[in-house]
Amino acid sequence: MPLRNGGFERKSKASDQIPSSSLADIAFLLLIFFMVTTVFRQERERPIEWPSAEATEQIDENRQNIMYIWVEQDGGIFINDQPVSMDQVSSLVAPAWIESQRRLRISLRADARAPYRFIDGVMEEIKAGGAIYVVFATDLERRMARERR
Amino acid sequence: MAILKKKTKVSDEIPSSSMADIAFLLLIFFLVTTVFPKDQGLQIVLPEAQEEVEVSQRNILHINVGTDGLVRYRRGDSENEFTVRPPEMEDIWRMEVAQNENLIAGVRTHPEAQHRYMVQVLDALQMAGAQRISLQMGEG
Repeated sequence: MPLRNGGFERKSKASDQIPSSSLADIAFLLLIFFMVTTVFRQERERPIEWPSAEATEQIDENRQNIMYIWVEQDGGIFINDQPVSMDQVSSLVAPAWIESQRRLRISLRADARAPYRFIDGVMEEIKAGGAIYVVFATDLERRMARERR
Repeated sequence: MAILKKKTKVSDEIPSSSMADIAFLLLIFFLVTTVFPKDQGLQIVLPEAQEEVEVSQRNILHINVGTDGLVRYRRGDSENEFTVRPPEMEDIWRMEVAQNENLIAGVRTHPEAQHRYMVQVLDALQMAGAQRISLQMGEG
């Protein structure tokens, strides 16, 4: 019998197929990761124009300790999807401040075009409610965008 | 008596070949529905009640933000007022604080000025590393 391949025969029995039996495990691992990290949105976003800032930083606080106050261009204030009047803000901030053990961050999501008197009014209300940490919600602005401006 | 024999050849195992398909379907669903939280912005700390302190005029940089988006600033102990665009405040603050490290930024915004102008000034100050910033509303 003539020798094939000059007598050198492949001894390896390794399959040349991608093992598909572990595919499900990989998929489930990814699935569980996304399930755990998903946070369902509790409130609906108001349509505002976001101001942008270069010094924008992430809030390093739990979501439970962040309170969102929306200020629209016409001065309409929304907390938890509910329209509220200016003088109601402090009565909503105060219990949240105590509940969070003085860690509450107020994310002030104000429209870029809103007149400053509304922002000042809300900040006075926040102060009256006892909270001191305020974050002006902004979009991150890249330096390139700024130079074009 | 006839022997009753099970003729069916149906496997009694759960088919595992479709498991990956199911998992990927769920995976894609979660990928699509995930919303990453956008909790970002410019952080400031408001003064607590009854925490008002007298500050010497020497240590204040008055920064006035107008309805036109321009910034007029002057040192507390000076009469000279300069008008600049908000991004220029970054270098100005660096220069001023190099001369006086106790400097406080007193940002006074016109009631009718757009929120974005105040944010631009605050952004410039924070980029320059300013820590002591006071936000106030100017007279209309």
